[in-house]
Amino acid sequence: VKILLLGMNHRTAPLEVRERLAVDDPAPALGKLVACDEVDEAVLLSTCNRIEVVVLTRNSDAARLRLRSFFRRDLAGDALSDAQLDEYLYEHRDGDAMRHVLRVASSLDSMVVGEPQILGQTKDAYRAAVECGASGPILDRLFQRAFATAKRVRTDTAIAERPVSVARVAVSLARQIFEDFSHKRALLVGAGEMIEMALSALRDAGLQSICVANRSAERAARLAVDFGATAHGLDELPALIAESDVVLTSIAAEHPILTRELLVRALHTRRGRPIFVIDIGVPRNADPAIDELDDVYRYDIDDLASLADENAEERHRETARAEAIVAEEQQRFDGWFAALRAVPTIQHLRRRLEEIRVLEVQRALGRLALGEAEREAVEALTRSLVNKILHGPVTRLRREAGREEGMAYLEVARLLFGLDDDPPAGPGERRRR
Amino acid sequence: MVIGLLELTAIVYLVAGLAAGAGLALGHRRLTDVSVGVLAGGVAVHALSFTLLHRGGEAPPLTNTAAAVSFMAWIGTLAFLLILWRARVAGLVVLVAPMAFMGVFFAAVRMPAGGVATPASGGPLAHAHVLLASAGLALLGLAGLAGVLFLAEHRRLKRKRHLSDALALPSLEALDRVNAFSLAVGFPLLTLGVVTGALWVQSVHGRPWTGTAHETWSLVGWAIYAVLVAQRFGAHRGARQCAASAIVGFAFLVFAVLGVELLV
Repeated sequence: VKILLLGMNHRTAPLEVRERLAVDDPAPALGKLVACDEVDEAVLLSTCNRIEVVVLTRNSDAARLRLRSFFRRDLAGDALSDAQLDEYLYEHRDGDAMRHVLRVASSLDSMVVGEPQILGQTKDAYRAAVECGASGPILDRLFQRAFATAKRVRTDTAIAERPVSVARVAVSLARQIFEDFSHKRALLVGAGEMIEMALSALRDAGLQSICVANRSAERAARLAVDFGATAHGLDELPALIAESDVVLTSIAAEHPILTRELLVRALHTRRGRPIFVIDIGVPRNADPAIDELDDVYRYDIDDLASLADENAEERHRETARAEAIVAEEQQRFDGWFAALRAVPTIQHLRRRLEEIRVLEVQRALGRLALGEAEREAVEALTRSLVNKILHGPVTRLRREAGREEGMAYLEVARLLFGLDDDPPAGPGERRRR
Repeated sequence: MVIGLLELTAIVYLVAGLAAGAGLALGHRRLTDVSVGVLAGGVAVHALSFTLLHRGGEAPPLTNTAAAVSFMAWIGTLAFLLILWRARVAGLVVLVAPMAFMGVFFAAVRMPAGGVATPASGGPLAHAHVLLASAGLALLGLAGLAGVLFLAEHRRLKRKRHLSDALALPSLEALDRVNAFSLAVGFPLLTLGVVTGALWVQSVHGRPWTGTAHETWSLVGWAIYAVLVAQRFGAHRGARQCAASAIVGFAFLVFAVLGVELLV
C-alpha cells in the first residue's frame, strides 16, 4: 500500500483558485473518493490557505489520476485546465506525504509559521473523515502521529510563543503590564483596521470596558456600537485618559494629542496606576516625551512592527528544531508503515505452516487409536511447536521490514518456506498421485 | 540533626533556584512550575528543622542571629508561596529561591554545633521581638525582591524590548501587588518587633533605650520604612518609585539589623 497526497496551498495557488475549490463539508467528497477501487482510505483538509487530499492506495498511479480528476471535476467543476492543475497542485508520496502531513499539523507549512489554528483544522478534517468512514487504520495512525508531533513541536520549541502580528504583540505587552484585563478599561481614540484588530485581540484576552472618542460624534457612535462601548467626543479626552488603563490611538492629527502635560495630569488622578499607550497614528498621536513618565508605557506602530519582526525571526530560528522533531516522528511512523509490508508474508507463512501441521496431525491421528484427551494433547503439542519455530523468524521479519533491506528478508523467507510454491498436498491428493 | 536538615534545606532551595534560572534562560514555563514545587518541598523540610529546634529547648531559640536569618528565609518563602494563591507571580521564584538558599546557607554555616542557646534574660518578649521583627524583615525582603524584578521588567518595557510569554515573568501589576501586600503586612510586624524589642530592653535594663548600635540603626531603618509606607499608601507614588524604595529600604534594614549585628 502507498500513501499519496495531492493538494494546493497559499504558495502554489492564488486565493481565487483556493476559494473555488474550498470544501465546507468534506463527507460527500470523501464518500465518493473511497467508493473508488483505487482509494482505500482518504482525508480531506480544506482551509483558507490550503486544500489537500491524502489517500491510502494499492495502486498509486491510478489513485493519482483519480485525485487529479477529483480536483478538476469535483472540486473545481471543470474550471481548471490540466496545465493549471500542473501549476497549482503538488504531490507527495509515502515518506514525503507523511512528512507533509506532520509539517502541516505542526504549523510548519503555514503562512504564519507557528499559528495555532491549523492543528484544530487538521483535527476537524480527520474527525470528518472518521465520521464518514473514509479514514481507516493507517491514516488513523498517520493523523494521530501528526497530532502528537504538533504537540511536541509546540511544547519542545518556542515556535508558537512569540506573537508575530502587531495586534498580538500589543496584547502580549499588555499582559506584561497588567495581571488581569477583566477590570481594565480601554480608550479607543480614532479608528482604523490595525487599531480595531488590536482592540479585538485585547477583548479576546478579557478586556471588557471600552470607550470610544472621536472628532465626529457619528463615527464614535458607530464604533461604540461595533465594540459595545460608550461614545465620547475628543473634548472629553483628559477625563477619559485618567480613567483608562489602555489607550489605543489612531487619529489624523498634525500634532500629538496625547501630550506630556495631559498624561501627567492623568497619572496624578490615577494615583500612579500605569497607562499602556498603543499609538498606531501616523504622524504619531502620542508625544514621545511621555516615555519619560515612569508609569506610562508607549508603543508606536514602528515599535510594535519591529517587535513583530523580531518575533518572526525568532520563530524562523525555531523551525530548525521543529523540523528535527518532525523528521524523528516521521521515522517512527515510517518504521511502523514499512513493517506493514511484512504482514502479508507473515500471514502467508503462518497459514502455510498451519496447513502442514493440520495435515500431518490428521495423518498421524489416522494411524493411532487415541482418545479425545490424547488427541487434544497432540493438537496442543504441534501448535506449540509451530508457534515456537515461527516466533524467531516472524519477530525478525517484523523488525527488518522497517529497514531498507527489509524486502530482501521477506524474499528470503518466501523462498526458504516455499510460500510461492503450491500448497502441501492433502492425504487424498497423495493417494490419487 | 538540625544542622543536617538546614543543609538539606539549603540544597533543596539551591535546586529550586537553579531550576528557576534554567527556566528563565531556556524559556521553559514548566521549569518555573517545577521550581515552585521544589521550593515548597524546601519549605516543608525547613519547617521540620524548626520543629526539631523547638524540641531542643523550652521555647523557639531564635534569638541567635543564624537561627533568625533561617527563620526569615522560611517565612519569606512561605509568604511567597501563599501569595501565589492570589497573584500570578511564579516567575518571582527566580529571585526568592536563591535568596532563601543564601539565608539558609548562612544559617547552616553560622549555627553553633551544639545548638542555639536561649539568652538567660530572654523570656517571651525576646522571642516575640525576634519572631515579629524577623517576619517583618522577611516580608519587606519579599517586597524588595519584587521591586528588583519590577525594575528589570520596567526597564525592558521602556526600552521597547519584548520577551517570550513562555518566560512566565509576572506582570508589573502583579509585582506591585506583592509590594503593596508585603509592605501592608510586613511593616506592622516590624513595628511590633521594634515595640517588643523596646519592652524587652525595658524589662532587662529598666529603660527602653540603651543606645546600642543595633537599637540606633534598627530605629533609623524602621523610620525610613515608615516613610516608604507613607509614600506608598499615603502619597500614592507610582509603582516604579515604590519598587525602587522597597529595594533601598530593605537593603538599609538588612544593614541596620544584620550588618550592624555582625560588624559589632
